[in-house]
Amino acid sequence: MKKEIAITVKNLHISYRGLKKFSIKRSLFKGTKNSKEIFEAVKGISFQVEKGKILGFIGKNGSGKSTTLRALAGIFSPDKGIIDLHGNTVSLLSIGVGFQPKLTGYENIYLSGMLLGFSESQIKEKEKEIIEFADIGDFIYKPVKTYSSGMHSKLAFAITAILETDIILIDEVLSVGDAAFKEKSYNKMKELIGDDNRTVVIVSHSLDTIKNLCDEVLWLHNGEIKKIGDPDSVIEEYKKFMETQ
Amino acid sequence: MKRFIDNIKKYFKYAVFSAKADLKSEVAGSYLNWLWWILDPLCFMMIYIFIAAVIFRSSEPYFPVFIFIGLTVWDFFNKTVNSSVKIVSNNRAIVTKIYIPKYILILQKTFVNLFKMSISWILVFILMFIFKVPLSITYLYFIPLLIIIYLVTFGVSTILLHYGIFVEDLANVTSLTLRLVFYMSGIFYNLATKVPKPFNSILLRCNPVAYIINAFRTIFLKGQLPSLVMMSFWFVAGIILVAIGVHIVHKYENSYAKVI
Repeated sequence: MKKEIAITVKNLHISYRGLKKFSIKRSLFKGTKNSKEIFEAVKGISFQVEKGKILGFIGKNGSGKSTTLRALAGIFSPDKGIIDLHGNTVSLLSIGVGFQPKLTGYENIYLSGMLLGFSESQIKEKEKEIIEFADIGDFIYKPVKTYSSGMHSKLAFAITAILETDIILIDEVLSVGDAAFKEKSYNKMKELIGDDNRTVVIVSHSLDTIKNLCDEVLWLHNGEIKKIGDPDSVIEEYKKFMETQ
Repeated sequence: MKRFIDNIKKYFKYAVFSAKADLKSEVAGSYLNWLWWILDPLCFMMIYIFIAAVIFRSSEPYFPVFIFIGLTVWDFFNKTVNSSVKIVSNNRAIVTKIYIPKYILILQKTFVNLFKMSISWILVFILMFIFKVPLSITYLYFIPLLIIIYLVTFGVSTILLHYGIFVEDLANVTSLTLRLVFYMSGIFYNLATKVPKPFNSILLRCNPVAYIINAFRTIFLKGQLPSLVMMSFWFVAGIILVAIGVHIVHKYENSYAKVI
């Protein structure tokens, strides 16, 4: 039986270029010197993720991991290449997920849920479960701006984990929160991973997490794929490489 | 075009919900609460009545209503356009975390301001009742005129949303320009009689805000029909502005997250 593919990425290029801000004053007085600073964050990577699999991204800072993740989430489009999610819904989970700071956590559950494409009634069903999982007590009815960063991530994680989208993208989130919550979110991750319909992409610097959770690991180096394969061998090589740096 | 309609359908509920939440949070922290929605336009009306009636000795019939109509329309246009310039960077938290068609942010803002405008209109009608403005069948033109001001505001705001991202000091330029438009829209004086010819008719035709304020006053206070030609002109112009704005946003919105 042929495996179903959830994510297909072909020859993905993303660069930050020619989109620099300018101010009217500056362009009036200094002339329009068009300094073309092209920074290619991702230089032609291709990979596929099967449905229900967990893919881990590793690589040093600035190697294009987060950029790729954001492109997968549809926040910006690739300059070249194709990203095909085969019609799956996707959500990006990262530190300080998009909340409206003035509104209460409760309202933000609805806002985030609606942005992820769920209806009000669907969210209502899961509302209790989210609040329970987030475990931030009465703060749920207080404005998000009063939250500590830990509470922030707890709520963010709860929303994305309970309102299950087909594909979940995780950017360095398992390393926040207190020990108890870490344990809980780790278990929740395992549960999500056990579900055959859920595809997960994780970016993390914690090699242990990647090793324990992922089916496959992709090592990015300066915007290119250095190696892709099973966790043990890739991580082993990555460790050696980092030591020589 | 189809994409625009699909997006509006998909995110309409979100915009309504978040507008409601916005309104709630706006009053939650303040002492007088929602009373501000009434006090705010009322106080401004008083100020302008003082300036125009006491200092400039204006003699418009139903003067308080005259001013209030102008302010109601102006506030909607001004607040929406002013906030649109920085709207994407103000919503950075959302924009960098999830895909959302960026004009939905404008849509949400217009809902907030539409709500405030409707309170303002209710006050206008109460004032009209107090000052015994005669009823007229021309009141029915209220709805089409409202649609026109909405279209123009939405169009202008979406275009500014795009340029506001790339031009850092556009906010300053916009608030200056809005100030100029404010004085050229005849909010506390009558453009037709106070401005010398031919500038008055030029302003009344080319400045959408001036045109619409004047049209509202015509149907409510004079009981006359507004010019249908001008109405259809600004209706079409409004649609074109929206089309341009939406087209630009569709084309470039994916790079917004890279810049902010």
